[in-house]
Amino acid sequence: MSNYLLDVQGLETTFKTPDGVLHAVNGVSFGLKEGETLGVVGESGCGKSVTMLSVLGLIPSPPGEIKAGKAMFFGHDLVKMTNAEIRQVRGAQIGMVFQDPMTSLNPVLTIGRQLEEPLMLHVGMNKKQASERAAELLEMVGIPNAKDRLSDYPHQFSGGMRQRVMIAMALSCSPQLLIADEPTTALDVTIQAQIMDLVKRLRNELGMAIIWISHDLGVVAGLAQRVIVMYGGLIIEEASVNDLYANPTHPYTIGLLGSLPRVDAKERTKLYSIEGSPPVLYNKPTACPFAPRCKWAMERCWKENPALETVSPEHRVACWVDTKTGRAR
Amino acid sequence: MTTYIIRRLLLVPVILFGVTILIFGMLQFLDPVERVSMYIRDTPKSDAQIEALITKYGLDKPIYVQYWKWLVGDVDPITNVRSGGILFGDFGYSRTNSQPVADLIKNRFPNTLDLTLWAIGPVIFVGIWLGIQAAVRHNKPFDQMARIFSIIGTSLPTFVFGLLVLMLFYANLGWFPPGRVSDEFSKIISSAEFTNYTKLLSIDSLLNGRFDIFLDVMKHMVLPILTLSYISWATFLRVTRSSMLETLRMEYVTTARAKGLSERDVIHKHARPNAMLPVTTLAGFSIVGLLGGVVITETVFNYPGIGATAARSAAQLDVITVLGFTLFTGLILVVSNVIVDVLYAFIDPRVRLS
Repeated sequence: MSNYLLDVQGLETTFKTPDGVLHAVNGVSFGLKEGETLGVVGESGCGKSVTMLSVLGLIPSPPGEIKAGKAMFFGHDLVKMTNAEIRQVRGAQIGMVFQDPMTSLNPVLTIGRQLEEPLMLHVGMNKKQASERAAELLEMVGIPNAKDRLSDYPHQFSGGMRQRVMIAMALSCSPQLLIADEPTTALDVTIQAQIMDLVKRLRNELGMAIIWISHDLGVVAGLAQRVIVMYGGLIIEEASVNDLYANPTHPYTIGLLGSLPRVDAKERTKLYSIEGSPPVLYNKPTACPFAPRCKWAMERCWKENPALETVSPEHRVACWVDTKTGRAR
Repeated sequence: MTTYIIRRLLLVPVILFGVTILIFGMLQFLDPVERVSMYIRDTPKSDAQIEALITKYGLDKPIYVQYWKWLVGDVDPITNVRSGGILFGDFGYSRTNSQPVADLIKNRFPNTLDLTLWAIGPVIFVGIWLGIQAAVRHNKPFDQMARIFSIIGTSLPTFVFGLLVLMLFYANLGWFPPGRVSDEFSKIISSAEFTNYTKLLSIDSLLNGRFDIFLDVMKHMVLPILTLSYISWATFLRVTRSSMLETLRMEYVTTARAKGLSERDVIHKHARPNAMLPVTTLAGFSIVGLLGGVVITETVFNYPGIGATAARSAAQLDVITVLGFTLFTGLILVVSNVIVDVLYAFIDPRVRLS
């Protein structure tokens, strides 16, 4: 028995497309402790969102299908749950916030109605109680005149405000876990900072665990305790946040960090960019999916896919090359 | 919301003005001799006689004078009686029907309205329902069947389908006759013992307590409604289906699922209201189309609505009647569009509050 709140083992998700079967997630395993914040980083299309949507059973099926793996949450496997069972988890024990606040709220329903829904469904409140609680929730996420704004529609809110509403909605039933799928990507930088401050404050007040998906390592650094880096539907590096930023080990992670603008960089240094783009996998990868873009790639990288191996306590990496020395591990 | 409605209403006279200009303009394609010929039954003895008629009716005056006269008519300086003038409800005299066009519309429009009232349900809601079911069962057998059905519906012309059902249900089975009402009842209806409360036969027959007449009236409407429905189901099914499929892919639908709502609530409470927006526009046009008289369907089933009447008048080159009906249909169209716009504002808060 693990001491994890959420324990994902060997998760594989595929999508049937007209061009063939797309392997989006290819055996992802990770654990999340209670109250812990886990950052998930990687470029667009490397399987971050699909992993989390698979955990919640939100993959549209068909064309999507979870081929293998399990996701243990409070001793129950989310992957094996029936629709009726997993609905009891969604919104109640696991809340989710999406990337684009402009499209993730229903435009024809009032904010109040959308906030009240999970409260009436999961907590069993009546309309009046739910409405009062909804106003409290809006206040909690820092929306002024909360009571009056319940009857407003999403288009009367700004992007940042809508994301606050989304967060209030995801947290309305006091879930143990909040999954945030790039919640700040669509917002401008000042609003990003506000939303992150809000999430930090709520984490301290409510104590929920958070999975924070982002392609921005800077955002994750300020929030997460542990980070996993994904590439080609696989976890290729996992470490505590300080360790990862101090000793990035996988070539991809090194590339990602190198592409971040730094305040302490020398003048006129060029930002590093990783050539190429993430692979579209029509077969389960048998070689290292990063090899085509990797400057350290050796012969073995083209033939075998490395597994995650511990390089230092709490730091695991999937690579055949020791990037410190440039030689095989 | 109020300003939105007022703005829409203010536009009505402007559009109607445009409609009259357009209709009057079309009339100008005929030269004065052609126009006056509509009123001549005997062969004129000389050109001078024709000239005299043209002068008498003012057809040689400038266009704007003629237009103004068409709008407000003439006041006889001695008797002070106004004659003509569409603004005062005088659409001219229908030669082929031997009565004023306004009276003709008054007689025929209730029939069209009656048919429309009973057709709205099957024409619109069944198609929408089919569309939603097809979208929810995307690529499943129900969806495939619905698509085949819809392709047949779109490609089959009204007159073909209409004649086919007429052949089957009237000629072969004898269940549903064409026309408006059976002869035995038509005498009762025109007699004094039958009161016309609304002029809508189906409702009046019930109000008069004549359930047998009501059944007969409905029997006559079954085939027109069936024809109208089948043709429009195809359209409603396609529009609803694609709109619903698009909506089901929206992120807020995933949000609703992530909240733990049942699939039923996700579809009917979150997706459907959004998917209905384009369908509402289509429904508005359909109702307008029905009210404007469905020419082919009414003609095939010999149903005395304004569509069939206008078509018959056109076939007999009765320009005045056709113009009157065109103007009336234009009026219905403009007013109904305002109603659709207001309804739209009710279901879409973004329109209402902007």
